[in-house]
Amino acid sequence: MKQALTFVLLGFGCALVQTAVFPRFLPPLARPELFMILIVFLSISQTALRGGLIAWLLGLLVDVFAAQTLGLHGLVFLVTFFLIKLTERRLNTESSLLLVLLVFGGTLVVRGMTAMALLILDEAGRNWQIILGQMATQAFMSALAAAVALLVVRWACRRAGGPTGLPGLRYLDSRYEK
Amino acid sequence: MRELLRKFRPLILGICLVVAALFLYSANLRKKDQTSFFEQAVLTLAAPFLKTFDLAWERVAAGWEGYLWLVDTAQDNERLREENLLLKAELENLREIRLTNERLRELLEFKEEFSLSAVPARVIAADSTTWSRTVLLDKGTRSGVREGLPVVTPAGVVGRVIKAAPGEARVLLITDAASAVASLVQRTRTRGVCRGRGDALMLEFALRQEDVQVGDRVVTSGTGGVFPKGLLLGEVARVERGDFGLFQTVEIAPAADFSRLEEVLVLVEDEP
Repeated sequence: MKQALTFVLLGFGCALVQTAVFPRFLPPLARPELFMILIVFLSISQTALRGGLIAWLLGLLVDVFAAQTLGLHGLVFLVTFFLIKLTERRLNTESSLLLVLLVFGGTLVVRGMTAMALLILDEAGRNWQIILGQMATQAFMSALAAAVALLVVRWACRRAGGPTGLPGLRYLDSRYEK
Repeated sequence: MRELLRKFRPLILGICLVVAALFLYSANLRKKDQTSFFEQAVLTLAAPFLKTFDLAWERVAAGWEGYLWLVDTAQDNERLREENLLLKAELENLREIRLTNERLRELLEFKEEFSLSAVPARVIAADSTTWSRTVLLDKGTRSGVREGLPVVTPAGVVGRVIKAAPGEARVLLITDAASAVASLVQRTRTRGVCRGRGDALMLEFALRQEDVQVGDRVVTSGTGGVFPKGLLLGEVARVERGDFGLFQTVEIAPAADFSRLEEVLVLVEDEP
């Protein structure tokens, strides 16, 4: 419960940053998808049921802050969560490069599914074209944001005097990546 | 059987969750024009943070422009420098107040010109996605703002309210790809539909033989049921007529500056 609340609060914080801070400094194309970092971390650290429910809730939060039909991002995040969860067992999630790649791939999946849902189910005009047009840039920006976040975590771990206890970030140190 | 259920429990749970999510999404597709309790609650919860950040940002920006950058410019005389900085800061504050005053006066004049009841509101946040174009206002149902009302600035049309909580409202900008406004070219009365394309507008369904030229003003036609007639949408920026086809391609530069939206007016209907 405590972990779930932490993720929801982090999601709320991400939404505030994406709606109030980024628009003042960055053009739309340069804004990273912070929620994607949360979904990836959720996939490697939580069980299918709990993680799925949190991913769904995070998606609903995005829908409110993006004024989309309630449930669109909920569905997209949930499916993305399960897709990452399925591949995560076959990968070494303690590699920071892989985490960045998961964010890159996850953003592509989220964008592709959102465009598909808008095209098939919703009445959102040509939004699906805009989404597909921005897909590669967005994935790159999100991966960049994930890399910066990992650097900050790594730095914080070193300052704290050892590896973190967080799943996926346990051995996040260059010594373990050689 | 129980063994099988236990083995595939995560898979079954996952499928159930996805089906439930799909069901919720499809159920809400039919209620797009309403603001649910969940949406109202989240907006109400987020509003104090967004308003505080907006206010803090305004102060920091004013402080930066009016004071901080001047710190390095005077090194000779401490007393004069401090006095100078204080005066400059005061001047910048007054200038900001004057600009706000001018903007609000323009809004009031605009309101009188159209003889409509209007609720002035402040933009406190933008959209959380990069492809959708919406903004959040600091006024909601408590101030008479509700779904479907048009939002304007003295420069031109901004959009329409799509979600309304007690103290906040979400506006779909005319540049969003999901937005369509019934419009006409002011000079030739050519009719069409203005659709958003992210940053620009396209005038669709303008017949190929109609006379549309670069620089023509495009206004609302009043037939869409949301915007009153005659509100400025933008100016024609590009016209393309192919050899074939019924319609011409007309690109419009929006009149309102969406990158600097601060204060807007929500046009409300008068109480009977």
